[in-house]
Amino acid sequence: MGKALRPKSWVLLAYLLPGLLIYSFVVLVPILAALRDSFYSWTGGPKKTYIGIENYKEILQDHVFWHSFLNNVLMTVYGLIGQVGLAFVFALLLMSKMVKLKGLHRTMSYFPSTLAPVIIAFLWMLIYNYNYGLLNAGLTKLGLGSFVQSWLDLTGPIVLLASIPLSWQNIGFFTLLMLAGLSSINKEVLEVAELDGATGIRKAWYIIIPLAKPTLVVASLLCIANNMRGFEHIYALTGGGPGNSSSVMALYAYETSFLRFRYGYGSALAIAIIALTMLMILLSTLALQRRRHQKGDVY
Amino acid sequence: MELQLELKSQPSTRRFLPSPAKLAVNALMLLFTASCIIPLVWIGYSSLKTQAEFANSILSLPSAPQFANYMEAIKLTNMLQLSWNSARVTILSVLGITAISFVTGYITARLDFKGKQAMIFYYLFGMLVPIHALLVPTYLLFKNFSLADQWYTLIIPYIAFNLSLPIMLVSSYVMGIPKEIEEAAAIDGLSFSGTMYRIILPIAVPVLTTVAILQFFSCWNEFSFALVLLKDESLRTVPLGMSYFKSQHSTNYPQLMAGMILSMLPVTIIYFAFSSRIISGVMSGAVKG
Repeated sequence: MGKALRPKSWVLLAYLLPGLLIYSFVVLVPILAALRDSFYSWTGGPKKTYIGIENYKEILQDHVFWHSFLNNVLMTVYGLIGQVGLAFVFALLLMSKMVKLKGLHRTMSYFPSTLAPVIIAFLWMLIYNYNYGLLNAGLTKLGLGSFVQSWLDLTGPIVLLASIPLSWQNIGFFTLLMLAGLSSINKEVLEVAELDGATGIRKAWYIIIPLAKPTLVVASLLCIANNMRGFEHIYALTGGGPGNSSSVMALYAYETSFLRFRYGYGSALAIAIIALTMLMILLSTLALQRRRHQKGDVY
Repeated sequence: MELQLELKSQPSTRRFLPSPAKLAVNALMLLFTASCIIPLVWIGYSSLKTQAEFANSILSLPSAPQFANYMEAIKLTNMLQLSWNSARVTILSVLGITAISFVTGYITARLDFKGKQAMIFYYLFGMLVPIHALLVPTYLLFKNFSLADQWYTLIIPYIAFNLSLPIMLVSSYVMGIPKEIEEAAAIDGLSFSGTMYRIILPIAVPVLTTVAILQFFSCWNEFSFALVLLKDESLRTVPLGMSYFKSQHSTNYPQLMAGMILSMLPVTIIYFAFSSRIISGVMSGAVKG
């Protein structure tokens, strides 16, 4: 752009500053404040006692926190299968010429994404309900009455059961994301592949998946970030229960601070969650990108 | 049911019989789509039943639709107050997001300046940072600045946490606008601000509309910050009010369902009114992101 259009630097700053200020106030300042508070023992009153890294030492030995972390990881795994994986399959099907009513599929499957997570959680609470739940009613109708149970009281598969609503809500979004990625693949490549006899599953496996890798990577990273910070669904669906069996990190930090009034420890937990999440995203980025490079060498 | 639907729609589009693979794939997709809406249809018609009728048979349709549940839900949740609070916070947040993302997105698309890459990275960071980990420090911060429990409290985090994607969307949209338009405006003597507001803003209306609609959903549905930052009952938003309603009246299911339907009504209407634009917006955001 020509020099004529370049504003003075104070004008530029004046335009950029409101956004940067409000963003910093809610994103950066709380992180810094949490970092500071994490070195104190503090119950919210005027008395703050500096205790160095004691809070972090406690985190290392905090079974509930690490159990919550594992739940986050488990939810991420379920999310990668149930959201990214299934969405990829549906997107492939929606790309093929076989499927009719594509507009309907796209519109309806994205609709749950627009609903509040709290409402999604209530809906699934009703589905899982023992006496009046859609799931048990369906099982009875299908003659599978022996499977009828109080779903949200099961400690074993509770994380899986809590992950299903999340997948249900987000699969439409990931399907759209995949469709966007798939539709940017060069049509000629696909046509040539078809002429060479690669159709159906073989075309998907040898041609589309390698070409869709960048989209799959982005989707996976988004899915990891989403699941590592999961809070609302769990808060509203199980409250972390039964016991602590479905607790996630953010919920545990919330309870520690707001129900047990341990603000110092809660702040340390916040820092730990950010650190762990960033670590997970970094590791998965490295892992996914390396694989992409290896593939890239082959072609 | 899905299979029948498919069979019916086939002859009109194709002369010969569909192959089994085609049928199976279509049936699978219809099943997927149906699973996305059947639970919602279920709470929709169940909300019109009496409690006794619902307890008697949870799947059957209501014998005579009852709107009493809706009346009760509106009264018990104070739905009008909740909606007003949500609408006020959401509309102002969306205006803020749209304005800031337009200016920031335009500038990042068109100008090079020191620290631009750092700024873009800084905004992207917001998409990855686990915001719910920050509930505690944010609450403490807002309390210290006496910003908690005000009618405008939620506007601040709602704008801040919804800037990342809109800035990228606007920026990539502006990159697609030919630079000659601005150069011509400059030759005609229009200043930078003049060009931005009088030339680019009208051209960017489509992307700004998309941004506004998408962020409407995220602000209207937000729960965590409302939970932490608001103690005053009269300021509660719809999702927050619903969660208290749920914990207090959890046994009257049809009534709870009526409340749920009411709370989803605005987003449902907006979604189905603008669905094609929303879907293309999400898809273009996905490609750029």
